[in-house]
Amino acid sequence: MLGEFEYVLMTVAAGLGESAYGAAIREEIEKVARRSCSIGALYTTIERLEKKGLLKTWMGEATAQRGGRAKRMVRVTPKGVHAAKEFYEAMMRVSRNASWATGKPERAS
Amino acid sequence: MSSLAEMAAIFLASKDRDAVLGDLAEAGASGWSALGSVLGLVVRQQMELWRAWQPWVASSVAFAGSLLSLGVSFGLSVDSRHLLRGERGYGRVLCEALLMLSWAWTSGFVAGSLSAKTRCVSGVLCAIPCLFCVLRFQDTSLSRLCVLLFLLPGVVGAVQGGRRKRLYFATAVMLATFITALMLLRGDMYARDWFLLLPAWWLVATAKRSELSKEKVAA
Repeated sequence: MLGEFEYVLMTVAAGLGESAYGAAIREEIEKVARRSCSIGALYTTIERLEKKGLLKTWMGEATAQRGGRAKRMVRVTPKGVHAAKEFYEAMMRVSRNASWATGKPERAS
Repeated sequence: MSSLAEMAAIFLASKDRDAVLGDLAEAGASGWSALGSVLGLVVRQQMELWRAWQPWVASSVAFAGSLLSLGVSFGLSVDSRHLLRGERGYGRVLCEALLMLSWAWTSGFVAGSLSAKTRCVSGVLCAIPCLFCVLRFQDTSLSRLCVLLFLLPGVVGAVQGGRRKRLYFATAVMLATFITALMLLRGDMYARDWFLLLPAWWLVATAKRSELSKEKVAA
């Protein structure tokens, strides 16, 4: 099963589609998930997910904004889509009776 | 982009280097912040490597192999001196020399093939006993560098191991049998010798496993 950050990264990469690459994914994680994302955490997780066959990466175009350096483009593989879907469904099942999911007030223990 | 970050990026793989420095430039990171990001990634990548068992075995082989081979190199140097004085036969010294070459090469090959990416750590672990031994060497009749005879075949083995990863099964069996036969032929057996023989039979086991997995794929 995926880890939480792995799931966040894959979901953001899938959402960005063709324009998913390191800096864009990092910016989106910080914006949407409201958490800081270091370059180290991002690239080691990309590496790990690629080894598991859940992501595919390749070197893309270089731009002047990047000092003429190439982007590392990212795409979620069909195996990755399957793993992310499994994680999402498991989280939905686990959260089924939790007060923050149902909107009911929390029971006192 | 700070030049310090660019310098630190040499520790990254070339594809990561371009992507990371580009991302930092795009995000407008500079100075210490860029350097911290690059070093953070270098440290994380190294830690990720050490989560597997291979780097641990490779560095243990490098350290223990170096420690034991120092004694073998010294023994060979002493025997060579006896040979020059006519106190030892050629056969015995040749046998010692072949054993030292084979032990060092197979240990290097195993360390290199198991974890090429952590070769710097393996190298440092191999160098520590060497340095200690060279600095404390006291036999004035021999050069202190005589204890390092095993280094060249060991380094050659490590480089070849990093490139080839494993030997053909037949080659591995021949090599391991040759080394075992030489040990039996020489006679005197020390626990050290048996430890130094292990990498050769490890190569046989990995070659066999690789052959079996190839057969499985073909089937």
